[in-house]
Amino acid sequence: MTRVVHYLNQFFTGVGGEDAASTPPARTDGAVGPGRKLQALLGDDFEVVATVSCGDDYAAGEPEAAREILALVKEAKPDVVVIGPAFSSGRYGLACGRLAAAATQAGLAVVAAMHQDNPGLAEAAGAPVVRSGEAAREMGPSLETLAAAVKKLSAGEDLTEAEGRLGKPPRRNRVADQNAARRAVALVLARLGGDKEATEVPLPDFDKVTPAPPVEDLSEVTVALVSEGAVVPADNPDKLESARATRWAHYSIEGRDSLPAGEFISVHGGFSTVAANEDPQRILPLDVARQLESEGAIGRLHHEYLVTAGNGTSVGNAKRFGTEWVADLRKSGVRAAILTAT
Amino acid sequence: MEPRTKGRGGAGIFPGLLGPARPQGRGQTHVLRGAAVVAAGFLPRAQEAVVDMTAPMAELSPLANTHNLVVEFDPPEGADWGAVSAGLRQGMLALAAHLADAALDAPPDHEETLPPLRAGGRGKDGLPRVGAITNLQTQGTFKETFVYGRSFTAALPTLLGPGELDDGAVVSGQFGHPSLKNPTYLYQNHPVVAALLDRHGTDLDFAGVVISPEPVDQVGKELVSAHAARLCADAGFDAALVTKEGGGNADADVALKMDRLEELGIAAVGLFAEMAGPDGTAPSIVVPPNRATAMVSTGNYDEKVKLAQTERALGGDRVVLVDQPATDPMELPTAAFYGALSPLGWGCLTCKETVPS
Repeated sequence: MTRVVHYLNQFFTGVGGEDAASTPPARTDGAVGPGRKLQALLGDDFEVVATVSCGDDYAAGEPEAAREILALVKEAKPDVVVIGPAFSSGRYGLACGRLAAAATQAGLAVVAAMHQDNPGLAEAAGAPVVRSGEAAREMGPSLETLAAAVKKLSAGEDLTEAEGRLGKPPRRNRVADQNAARRAVALVLARLGGDKEATEVPLPDFDKVTPAPPVEDLSEVTVALVSEGAVVPADNPDKLESARATRWAHYSIEGRDSLPAGEFISVHGGFSTVAANEDPQRILPLDVARQLESEGAIGRLHHEYLVTAGNGTSVGNAKRFGTEWVADLRKSGVRAAILTAT
Repeated sequence: MEPRTKGRGGAGIFPGLLGPARPQGRGQTHVLRGAAVVAAGFLPRAQEAVVDMTAPMAELSPLANTHNLVVEFDPPEGADWGAVSAGLRQGMLALAAHLADAALDAPPDHEETLPPLRAGGRGKDGLPRVGAITNLQTQGTFKETFVYGRSFTAALPTLLGPGELDDGAVVSGQFGHPSLKNPTYLYQNHPVVAALLDRHGTDLDFAGVVISPEPVDQVGKELVSAHAARLCADAGFDAALVTKEGGGNADADVALKMDRLEELGIAAVGLFAEMAGPDGTAPSIVVPPNRATAMVSTGNYDEKVKLAQTERALGGDRVVLVDQPATDPMELPTAAFYGALSPLGWGCLTCKETVPS
């Protein structure tokens, strides 16, 4: 009998919707919700012995969440950890990707399922993730793919594209025989010779983001200022990077009507910060936002701003920041954000 | 920069900065091969750059295989940084010319004759006319490039011959993007031009070098891309190799030019550094071309490299990026290594897909 532990978010275990998104991790015995269908698909050689669940905001926003979830998973002594499907839900996907990465690192056999555009895919750090549909209406076929992958994995076989495995093979640095300039000359001569397909770099696929519907009445909602302009307190207390940021920070603007020169600076490495440092509000418009707040044009300004440096940031990190910002802002009741970019 | 002279006192080397601002690329140029003059120290907007003179990154840096005269500098308190940068540049160029003067009386180990620039017309013996488009970073003080001594920021693309690059018509004033930096040394020894000249007369007819600024706004990028492609067409290019300097937005300068070239029936290949994330799975190119698809990879910016303990470090005591003493063992992204992803195609680094574990 193969022991399966299944991870789902708060919605699929029936704890609740967005109202329950900050629920901390918990474990129940046996299969729950979609886990029952998974159990049926896996058959008698497998037993879903436990289901671990966590709220999306908690899982995506709390730094220790993946560790806490993994601890609950391990207590149920799994042979295989099955995660999701997370479809294209960003916060759920992040939680699934992180758990997959952490479980793999802990030496557990693991497979997660999500849509190919889910930012959680980047978080899995190479751990097996198979394809799911875009939304829960595709639960049936998504679970079939997942169950087939679980069977293959527990038979000791590798998951490949044929089993719906997602994620491009990683591109790693290698030293070539010739320098890039010589290879470029060879490539252009091949192209002139009629080979229109030859390339060292395949064209990338970018996902498309569907914009949220407009906020109907801004005077009723809390609005946040968020920025990639790297405006931080002058001593840069969190050591925000000036390029290739791997993290973001948040700073209180409670009781402040302005960001005086000298107290706040931009540490952005991608442009001359002279004008930004003369008046940091050229990057983060706190003065105008306070004015709009006092006029009643916006309900309330969020008590802190979120910030990173958008300069040479990897797509994976940028997607993660976006998803973490959403989790953080939703948790605080923010319903709209103004993102200033440089 | 590489020590070079055209006679005692420089005599026209680095035109517009050291020599008079007149078209160069004529006569004789003396090169002190195997040497480089390097400045190390703080300037605003400079990003920390590491040159590893031993394994594992030595083979990936253009400065690990040369004898380097490293100039450390301390500006007087309150000095204007723009003036510091200009003075440093002037001094470094004079030093490079002075060093080369010392070799003037030695017989040369090697002699090379560059073909003259021949714009327009058809390729000799039916060979395709292939040239380069070299984008120069132009983002204001400390991130700009000088052509005949003038900042190239507001310029439109122009055509240069190989001798002009050799004589130092293009000089870097750009201190950001360590791995994606095009130092003066590599304009003097332009790798794409060298690769084209190697096959000149056998597989291709060298068509020249179009230099273009990299404007910071989309309208500007569109403008110079259209002009560069038109200039290539007027100069009779059948194909062009397009390069950049700098990170993400400079990808657009390569991609737009590749697309405009292909629209005019000119085959295009772009050299790109990949930004595929530390694990190599993120999309590699920030702005990919739409019509042209032939790209060469100079390696992944984000991949981590481990450095061993070292005995001696020049230019600073600490590596700020990881907040460690500069001689410590440390892990750094490829992005931090000087010239490691050379956009001009100097290096042998590339990316290959590997099967996930």
